[in-house]
Amino acid sequence: MANRPILANSCALAATAAEARFRIDAKPQTPRASSVVALDDGAMALVRELAGQEWNAARFLGLPDGTPAGEYADLQLRTVDGEAVRLSDELARADFVMMIATEGAGAAAATTIGDACTLRGIMTAGLVVGTNGGSGPALTALRPNARVLLVTGDEQDATELLAAVGA
Amino acid sequence: MLKQDVNELLTRTGPGTEMGDLFRRYWLPALLAEELPEDGCPPVRVKLLSERMVAVRDSEGRYGLLDEFCAHRGASLWFGNNEQGGLRCAYHGWKYDVTGACLDVPSEPENSSFYRKVKLTSYPLVKIGDVLWTYMGDPADQPPLPEFEWCLVPPEQTYTSKRWQESNWLQALEGGIDSSHVSWLHSAGLRNDPLFKGSKGNDYNLNDMRPFFEVVDADGGLFVGVRRNAEEGRYYWRITPWVMPSFTMVPPRGDHPVHGHFWVPIDDENCWVFTFDYLPARALTAAELQAMKDGHGVHNEYVPGTYRPLANKDNDYLMDRAAQRRGETFSGVKGIAIQDASLQESMGPIVDRSRERLVSADSGIIKARRKLLTSAVALRADGTVPPGVDPAHHRVRSASIVLPKERSFLDAARDAVSVIPGVPQTSV
Repeated sequence: MANRPILANSCALAATAAEARFRIDAKPQTPRASSVVALDDGAMALVRELAGQEWNAARFLGLPDGTPAGEYADLQLRTVDGEAVRLSDELARADFVMMIATEGAGAAAATTIGDACTLRGIMTAGLVVGTNGGSGPALTALRPNARVLLVTGDEQDATELLAAVGA
Repeated sequence: MLKQDVNELLTRTGPGTEMGDLFRRYWLPALLAEELPEDGCPPVRVKLLSERMVAVRDSEGRYGLLDEFCAHRGASLWFGNNEQGGLRCAYHGWKYDVTGACLDVPSEPENSSFYRKVKLTSYPLVKIGDVLWTYMGDPADQPPLPEFEWCLVPPEQTYTSKRWQESNWLQALEGGIDSSHVSWLHSAGLRNDPLFKGSKGNDYNLNDMRPFFEVVDADGGLFVGVRRNAEEGRYYWRITPWVMPSFTMVPPRGDHPVHGHFWVPIDDENCWVFTFDYLPARALTAAELQAMKDGHGVHNEYVPGTYRPLANKDNDYLMDRAAQRRGETFSGVKGIAIQDASLQESMGPIVDRSRERLVSADSGIIKARRKLLTSAVALRADGTVPPGVDPAHHRVRSASIVLPKERSFLDAARDAVSVIPGVPQTSV
C-alpha cells in the first residue's frame, strides 16, 4: 500500500499536457562557454558569419595566417576581430570547443586543440562542411580529435548545433 | 533547444500542417496484417495523422482505408457489416466499397443513381510483409511502394509487432536516433535479454561508456556511427540508419535478429511504434520467435486484446524498485521497449524543446530535426520531394563492425549498410 500513489502528480499519470503547467520554470544551468575554431580559410568564412549572430557565451576564432604544420605545445589563435589569443588562455574559460574544417590543412592544429581539450576534460565537436560521405582530408584530420563529428553539406548545421547546445 | 514555433512545426502532423504534408508524401505502416486476418473480416478503427478511418478487407480480399464516418448521418462505420463487395453502415444501410465509393443508399428508389454522387475519402492500403501500408497524400504524388528489407524477406525470416505510445511521434523517434542511452537505460538488457545477450559487441558496449559519435548525411536521412574502443588499434562501430521520416534500425548483436522501428503519428499526442525483427539470410528459430511474442528484445507484453503495453502509465509501468536495486534493470522498468516508452512518455505528450539542454553528443537528433524542418519547408515552398520517398533510400541496414582506427566507418562499411538480398547482416 505504501508504494501506491495517492495523488495524480505522484505517478506516471502526471505526464499530461495539463500537468505540464506545474513544471518549475527556471533555467537549470548557466550558458555553456563555447569556443568555435576555424581550421582553414573556408571554415573561417563560416565562422565569421556565425560570429555575427547572437549567442549566450560563444567566442569565434581562427588560426593566424601562415600557421606552420607540425606539433605545437600551445597554439596562437586569433579572434574574428584579429585579436591574438593563446589556446591555453582560451581553454581556461571554455567548456565546449567546436572545430570547423572544410579541408585537411588544419590537421596539426586539430591535434593540438584536441589533445589540450582532452587534458582539460573539455568536450569537443567537429563539423566537416562540404564533404560528401564519410571520407576526405578534413574528416581524417578531425576524427581523432573530436568526440562528436558531424559531416554535412549544409553550413546551417553549425548554427543549429551551437544553438542546440546553448552556446 | 528549439524555438517553440519550430517545435510546433515539427510535432504537429494533422491535415494542413507542414509536417502533416511531409508525412503525406510517404507510404506509412497503418496496421498489422493480422488485424484484418481474412476476407470479409470485421473492420478496424484506425487513426493516423489525426484522421479517423476504418480499415477494411472486403469479401474479395481487397484492402482499403476509409473515412470512419458514414456520409449520411456521421455514424461510425466500425459498427458496419462487411458483406459481399463492401461495408454497410449499421445505422441506415448505406454501403461503401474499399475505395469509399457508395454502392447503395437503401432509402432511395430502386433505380436511383444518387449513390453515385456519394464517396468517402479513402486511401490505398497495401499488404507488404506483415504490415498494411497506406499513402495519405495527393494521388498524383503517390510514390512507388516501399522496399524496406524487413518486409521483403520470406515470412519465416521476419516478425513485426506494434504498440501504442502515449507521446508525440518525434520524441519517440529521437530515442531511436540517440544511441548514447543504450549503455545506461538498456545496460541490463545487454546481459540478460534472450534476444540481446551473448554477443562480443555487448562487451565492447559495456566496457566503454564514453563513446565517440559521427553523424553523416545520407540520401534518405542519416547514418549515425558510434565508436568505442575495441582491441589495440581497432574501434567497435555501431551504425544506425535513419530514413525519413521515421524509420530507424538498431545495430545488430552477434547472430541475433536485426531489429528496428517505424514511428507513425496517431495524433499529436500519441503514436504507433511498429517494431520488427528479421534476418536477411535465415529463418527465425522457434525460440527466437517465441521470445519476440513473449515481449522480449524490442517487443513488449500487452494488455490482453489490445496493442497497449501491459506496463503503461496507468500502472507506473509496473515499476520494480527491488529489481532496480538488484541491477536487473537500470530504471526499474522491465523490457527494452517499455524502458524507452516510460521515459519518453514521462517527458509529457509533446516535450517542450525550448527548455531542453542538449549536448554535442545529441548531434544525430539535432541534424535529424534540421533535416525534417528543411524538408518540410522546401516541400511547402516549391514541392521539393523529401528524402526517403524514393524506395532506393529504403535499402539500408544497420551494422556493427570492428574496424582499424584509421578507417572511415562509412567507407569501410558501405556494403554492410546496404541491402544485399540473401547476404547476412554484418554483426559483432
